[in-house]
Amino acid sequence: MSAPEVVTATPREGKFTKNVARRVRVAGSIPAVVYGAQQPSVAVTVDPKQIRRILHSESGHNTIFDLNVSGSVAKAMVVDWQNDPIKGNLIHIDMKRIAMDKAMRVEVPIQLLGVPVGVRTQGGILDQVLREIEIECLPADIPGHIDIDVSELAFGMVIRVADLPHNEKLTFITDEDTTVAHITAVREEVVATPDALAAETPAEPEVAKKGKQETPEAGEEVKKDDKKDAKK
Amino acid sequence: MLMPKKVKFRKQQKGRNRGKAWRGSELAFGDFGLKTLDHAHITDRQIEASRVAMTRFIKRGGKIWLRLFPDKPITKKPAEVRMGSGKGPLDHWVAVVKPGKILFEMEGVTREVAQEAMRLASHKLPMKTLFVARHDAVAATTQKS
Repeated sequence: MSAPEVVTATPREGKFTKNVARRVRVAGSIPAVVYGAQQPSVAVTVDPKQIRRILHSESGHNTIFDLNVSGSVAKAMVVDWQNDPIKGNLIHIDMKRIAMDKAMRVEVPIQLLGVPVGVRTQGGILDQVLREIEIECLPADIPGHIDIDVSELAFGMVIRVADLPHNEKLTFITDEDTTVAHITAVREEVVATPDALAAETPAEPEVAKKGKQETPEAGEEVKKDDKKDAKK
Repeated sequence: MLMPKKVKFRKQQKGRNRGKAWRGSELAFGDFGLKTLDHAHITDRQIEASRVAMTRFIKRGGKIWLRLFPDKPITKKPAEVRMGSGKGPLDHWVAVVKPGKILFEMEGVTREVAQEAMRLASHKLPMKTLFVARHDAVAATTQKS
């Protein structure tokens, strides 16, 4: 996997509060953290455009790039990122220093190739249940995506992790029985009549009964009665 | 209409709806989705109307996921009743949503069909929405079609 660019990170100093992080974002950068390779973690700021370009590249978040933190360059990877739920902007990223000679666990996208028989002739829909798979391999051997041909997939057939192309460089961590894709049927929309709808829908849901359902024991009742008598 | 099968309490207090939807704001099942941009109470009828609009438009083409459920009971006093004398009877159910929440997801259709279906669905809803897609979904649907 080729390193597309050098990401320059500036170390952050002072407070690491949310107010300071907000100021970093207003200035056009995003707060980030670098850790891994048995070195201390460093809080930094990076250019979000550069990170977005890496995340949308062909190798996606598994892209290994050169990270320059105040002059010291190390291989790194984006391991976690947070987006704003409304605008979709990057808010924060985690970067991990990579040791190129040590195997690591990464999630790789699964790409389905071809149009299945179940879609072409049987009128079904291809449902991809698993979109990313966890593998273990050396950083240099991380594939951009794992491809599988689904053109022979028909109704009732399931593609599982075991069916994906294996090789000696990759170890699949995800369970081999996990479903990757299958063909699902399209349910016909039944036009319900108002009477049927009213009969089907209950007016109110059942309310769970509160408190203990057991009756109090006879001994307890006697004790309470004794206390009342004593007060009198 | 959608409603819970069993509840712990028949009526709830109004509550407040603030902040962003940090959970449920990313596509989880399909290639395309409809995201809300406002805080809202979406009623069971609105959810059903949106679902029917989408299902009828895509016909037998795709699969739809509903990512919201109306689990909050709303009460209402009958007409011409004086104030007081306790809380009114249950009227309908709503789903409380915050901006950023994915409401519906769709798969098995082209981007154009999904966008039109979501547009029709958004007209049944009481707030602004945004059509969203996976960044690699366009290539995938071109290949499927």
